[in-house]
Amino acid sequence: MVGAYFGFYMVMSLAMNYWLALILATVALGFIGLLLFRFVFYPMRDAPEVNLFVAAMALLMILEGAALYFFGTETKWFVVPFSRKVLTFGDLSLPVQRVIVILGTLVVMTFLQLFIKKTSIGATLEATAQQREGAMLCGIKVSRVSALAFMIGTGLAGIAGVLIGPAVLLEPTMGMGPLLVAFSAIVFGGMGNIPGAILGAFILGLVESLASGYISATYSLTFVFGIMILMLLFRPKGLLGKETWRP
Amino acid sequence: MALLKVSGLTKRFGGLAAVEDLDFSIQGGELLSIIGPNGAGKTTLFNLLTGFYRPTSGRIIFNNADITGLKPYRITRRGMVRTFQMTHIFQNGTVLDNVIIGRASHSRIGLLESILGTPSARREKKKAIEKAREIISFVGLEDQKDKTAHYLTEEARKRLSIALALATEPKLLLLDEPAAGINLEEMGGLMELIDRIRKIGISVCLIEHRMRMVMSISDRIIVLNYGRNIADGTPEEVANNEDVIKAYLGGYRAAQC
Amino acid sequence: MKNLFSSKTKAWFLALALAVAVPPVVGGYLVSILTLICIWSIMCFSINIIYGYTGQLSLGQAAFFGIGAYAFGILTVKLHMGFWPAFLAAVVITGLIGFLIGIPALKLRGPYFILVTLGFSVIIGVVLVAWVDLTGGANGLAGIPRPNPVPLPWGGQLSFDSLLSIYYFVLFFLLIIMIFTNSLISSLLGKTLVAISYNETLTESLGINTMSRKILSFTISAVLAGIAGVLYGSYNVVISPEIAYFAKGMDVVAYLIVGGAGTMAGPILGTLVLMAVPELLQVVPSLKTLINGIILMLFLVFLPSGITGGVDTLWVKIFRSRISQHGPAQG
Repeated sequence: MVGAYFGFYMVMSLAMNYWLALILATVALGFIGLLLFRFVFYPMRDAPEVNLFVAAMALLMILEGAALYFFGTETKWFVVPFSRKVLTFGDLSLPVQRVIVILGTLVVMTFLQLFIKKTSIGATLEATAQQREGAMLCGIKVSRVSALAFMIGTGLAGIAGVLIGPAVLLEPTMGMGPLLVAFSAIVFGGMGNIPGAILGAFILGLVESLASGYISATYSLTFVFGIMILMLLFRPKGLLGKETWRP
Repeated sequence: MALLKVSGLTKRFGGLAAVEDLDFSIQGGELLSIIGPNGAGKTTLFNLLTGFYRPTSGRIIFNNADITGLKPYRITRRGMVRTFQMTHIFQNGTVLDNVIIGRASHSRIGLLESILGTPSARREKKKAIEKAREIISFVGLEDQKDKTAHYLTEEARKRLSIALALATEPKLLLLDEPAAGINLEEMGGLMELIDRIRKIGISVCLIEHRMRMVMSISDRIIVLNYGRNIADGTPEEVANNEDVIKAYLGGYRAAQC
Repeated sequence: MKNLFSSKTKAWFLALALAVAVPPVVGGYLVSILTLICIWSIMCFSINIIYGYTGQLSLGQAAFFGIGAYAFGILTVKLHMGFWPAFLAAVVITGLIGFLIGIPALKLRGPYFILVTLGFSVIIGVVLVAWVDLTGGANGLAGIPRPNPVPLPWGGQLSFDSLLSIYYFVLFFLLIIMIFTNSLISSLLGKTLVAISYNETLTESLGINTMSRKILSFTISAVLAGIAGVLYGSYNVVISPEIAYFAKGMDVVAYLIVGGAGTMAGPILGTLVLMAVPELLQVVPSLKTLINGIILMLFLVFLPSGITGGVDTLWVKIFRSRISQHGPAQG
């Protein structure tokens, strides 16, 4: 949401080039992530886990509140040179923006995968995620690594926001829908593993689109949520879920 | 008839078998110790016995009933309870508060009665507090009963975690490394406590690394290595077992405590 | 310690006295604020049970609030049910839905549970707007009744049309709910809930069926939120989908944490401070979420135990000589 609004402001109010705005938004959001880490999440690292979630919630309130205050409740339209353009392949018409989203996602995911698997920084990230104390013993500065992970996270969200912005209407709570679908996908596909999340995202994304088209657009989200609840009732582990480690 | 009988118990995580094809039993009244190198699967075994993990295959029979796959709280209610390697206690409550919660599973009071504060609810609460006091005395913590658990020494915490387990009135007590992090003198006190626990009729199963304790108080010892049971016998038998010595790389014969 | 006890009780009595005596003297505007504060305090108690005492953060209480209000509204306005039967039915419906949602939701731990409750809130928000036939859509429902006039023993009757009377009506329920909460927490059952919030694994290991207790706690919370919803409907006469908006659910969590989760005074203090102060300072509504968020964040980083926690610490510092070893939280 912040990414989307950021991009919107850059392009619409400051008449900046879209691609430039994309890069700037990513950097800005990465920077915001760093600030958040430094001033909120790092000082709270020893607090009970629940407090961190409340902090995230407080953050949501602040961001949405700020967006609400500065941009108002009316939805905004993020207009970009190729917003109106559509690619046609016979009967199939694809809005250009959506194609950009798909391609952009593929590019980013590829970069991310390469980064994690092929660079030493990426390896450091993975190592720290798996075994924090072990990493510390190896001389890795865990706080720096965590900060980096955070920044990548917010930066990615920013990219997503700017990419999707022109394709949908902007409003302060626009982050909720995707969050819910993403979360449902994780639960549905099985927590604790990436293939599960991808499978879940795929299936539920399909469900949402089909439900949107054939049943009802307003209730499509309800449908997705309902399916997740059903999965929870009958197979809490999800489709590909592995057993969770307990004590 | 054995109090606990385990047959063919296996637990796989993905491709790795943490515990493989375990067979053993515990007789009523005996003290069985489980030893083995780190990562041999000892705590996994406890998790399996108490329902925190579901076995990939195998059966667990406790007190003549098949408890395989039951939820932890049901197993505790049937009389098998464990302590945790990390000494789980309720940090923010007093020692007394802690043990009272341990007694909670023994009071059958419904929601309505709890809220209305009926005489039966108050009686149950009173009984719980009294029994908790008894148990606290039994483990030797009565002079610290109003102390917040957070401030206890490591040894007192171990006693508290044992008190919590005793509060559930078990037939079989599983102790996961009760002597970790305490000195020799305190260990003597612990051994004495375990002795008293056995005297009131509770069977004990112990995971431990400190050989002095294991050798002196165990009736039988089981040795785990890579999730498999490689020896099962009296302390003397196990001490002289070739496979065991190999597994420890000669380490444990030399280990003093 | 006796000093501590009696001054707390004195404080409560003073608060009660003020709550009863002040409203008739002040203007209608303040009374309506106070009524709303009472209603949201009840919401805070709702969250307090599931989060403050059982340790599960539910962001879906706004949904139950909305369900309570709408169930009541539909039963009275559309089905012409009497006030009290509708009240009871609405609360039962809300509790039932809470129970049904709790069963799958509580199978998840930590962040996943939070997200499910949030999701539920979003969905209910959507349903309330979209199901126009049932709920009146974005326009909501109007004409929700006040309690029926109560015949007085000395002739005549007590009607609830005035603002003051509905204020006392709501206050009455707030008091009952506070007594209920206190009773629950001091019971053995209540202690097991607190145990779950401290260490769920250990509690389960001690033979307590944590799943059923969590569901119970969640259902009770839903019931309390439902009651708040019904009271709001009756007070406001008009309801619209915004009341179930998930943001309000987050606001209530903020009130609770700022006031002090897991205490009796926390819900009231938090609601009072975060609702009364902006009103008195004439803060623009669109700024409220932002400000609540900032205040919450400040508290989380610097004073996570809330105002009551801060007061306790201050108290201990001032009366250090009189207090012996005494833990931070007393469930």
